[in-house]
Amino acid sequence: MCRVKRRSRRDLLVGIAASIAAVAVVTAVIALVKQWVPVLSLGVLYVFAVLPIAVVWGLWLALPVSIASMLAFNWFFLPPVHTFTLANSENWFALAVYLATAVVVSELAARARRRAAAAEQREHESSLLAELATELLRGRELGDELGEIGTRTAGVLGVDNAQIELGAQRRPPPGTSPHLLEAADRTVGTIYVPAGSDPNVAARHRFLPALAALLAVAVDRDRLEREALEAEALRRSDLVKTALLRAVSHDLRSPLTGIRTAVGALRNPTLHLSNEDRLELLETIDLDSDRLSRLVGDLLDLSRLEAGGAAPEAEVWSLDDLVREAIDALDARDRVELAGEAPLVNVDATQIQRVLANLIENALKFSPPDARVHVRITATRKEAIVRVVDQGPGLAENELERVFEPFYRRGSDTRSGAGLGLAIARGFAAANGGRVWAESRPGQGATFALALPVVEVPAELQA
Amino acid sequence: MTGQRVLVVDDEPQILRALRATLRGAGYTVESAETAQGALTAAAAHPPEAVILDLVLPDGNGTDVCRELRSWSDAPVIVLSAVGEEKEKIAALDAGADDYVTKPFSVDELLARLRAVLRRRGAAQEPVIDVGEVRIDVAERIVTVAGKRVKLSPHEFDLLRVLAQNRGKLLTHRALLREVWGPAYEVEAHYLHVYVSHLRRKIEPDPASPRYLLTEPGAGYRLVDPASDDV
Repeated sequence: MCRVKRRSRRDLLVGIAASIAAVAVVTAVIALVKQWVPVLSLGVLYVFAVLPIAVVWGLWLALPVSIASMLAFNWFFLPPVHTFTLANSENWFALAVYLATAVVVSELAARARRRAAAAEQREHESSLLAELATELLRGRELGDELGEIGTRTAGVLGVDNAQIELGAQRRPPPGTSPHLLEAADRTVGTIYVPAGSDPNVAARHRFLPALAALLAVAVDRDRLEREALEAEALRRSDLVKTALLRAVSHDLRSPLTGIRTAVGALRNPTLHLSNEDRLELLETIDLDSDRLSRLVGDLLDLSRLEAGGAAPEAEVWSLDDLVREAIDALDARDRVELAGEAPLVNVDATQIQRVLANLIENALKFSPPDARVHVRITATRKEAIVRVVDQGPGLAENELERVFEPFYRRGSDTRSGAGLGLAIARGFAAANGGRVWAESRPGQGATFALALPVVEVPAELQA
Repeated sequence: MTGQRVLVVDDEPQILRALRATLRGAGYTVESAETAQGALTAAAAHPPEAVILDLVLPDGNGTDVCRELRSWSDAPVIVLSAVGEEKEKIAALDAGADDYVTKPFSVDELLARLRAVLRRRGAAQEPVIDVGEVRIDVAERIVTVAGKRVKLSPHEFDLLRVLAQNRGKLLTHRALLREVWGPAYEVEAHYLHVYVSHLRRKIEPDPASPRYLLTEPGAGYRLVDPASDDV
């Protein structure tokens, strides 16, 4: 009867008070009705005192209640009243029957109560297991759930608190005693309960292995998920490497081929080159060396950005000036239209011009030759946004993010650039506290936007 | 300019420009195109005597151009390929390309290959073929090296004959197997490697460092005259 031992003093007092009240009430009822009914047959009413006590508190209290009932009946109602002696020996027999009835009923009730308690306990355990299974299998991170699982397990085990740790058992925290969580062939973890507390043995034997099996599944699932993520990361980095190789193979080789062919021709004594052809060859060398050096610069920028080494030297600039300089650097004043506000931003001018130049160059590349690219600057109190709108073919939904991946090429674009410009733009924007993104509806041209935090205009500079 | 007409196809404007100037300097008349479709149109409008063809084009690949071209023109084709395009290169050669150079190529190499394919062009089915000191009497099935008769098995002889009739030309494994053993053997490359090594032992002065029967790694074989610039 471990549960009896653990009954609190308060529970005990309530039980005794309820018992006294129950006997008193039944006695009063008998006193009221005895003028109409033969008193001896009313003794059976004490069952109504014994039964609830037996159901709620068990035999240990029901037994005293049935004895007290018998004594009360004898004292108040059986002649000679107000003594514990009995005139009629028939009455002795009746009392004995009542006592036996009370004991049997209270034992039956107590048994039912125990069964109900056990069923409730099991139901509690299995519903907890079911809930845990649902939550864990739904993909909740096991590590985040352990605290909650510990608390609920404590409830099932009948201890104040419990703490679960996965993996091999280590030294238990002070003041706790460990119980291993073992599933199949391995120890999944350990559950620590307060030292000296006494977990429900049956519950422990029933519940902990089931909990362990469930945790084992969750642990395995977490591990598989991690492995899958790692494999995916590896696959992606392989894809990047393959893209890098292809880009290097194509984008470094093409200008090299142009240069090498031109140099080979110029140095070949057997060729009869006209002056015009000579100039053409020189121009090839010039343009292709430019292209090579730009590509090498891009690759360097990208690796610097990926290594986090692009420390911006921020100063306050008017954003429209940066846009204008970017347009000039591209020599594209004829093809770009600039409109909008002139918010102040605190950025590295070189890096942000680079971002803008890359966005505008990209827009020019995908616009029809005679179409203009529109650049608009808008500003809220917090953010300045530059939108570069082209009149090209636009971007499909699934391209909006991919265009920022290094070496990504749009459509059948095999000729120009290595697909680094937008990746670099995004990197430099982020280094300056900004964002770059794409918006588009296919067939309507693409918009590339740069957002930068706005600087408060110092009071002394305000007009 | 009244030189032989060469069609150059490449989508890289700078490479195209450099090749045009180079080929003009070497005395050729140059046509150019930047796309697969443009190449076929140009070849139809002004039939070239040779084609220099980039494998990767914005609207298709060189292999398809090659196959299409072969169906109505016998102009030799030299493919420009890059590292990483080996499969496409073999496909183009199987589709009828005559040779390839790998980017970035040297001008001398390209011009030598161009001369070689143009020289072979229209070469008659000579009854006796001389390649350096190797003489192949096709009609009598007799082979001599420096005047001395060597005995070849029937397959060895056919292999040497096919290579000699396409002197200087790169023949893919598939093409050689088809010519010598028949279409059913196209994929049995090991036959070929074994017979090539037999053949080298019989015709090469030093079989360990071949000078006549050259291996193009991963592509095929070619028979050259060590004294000429066929390579």
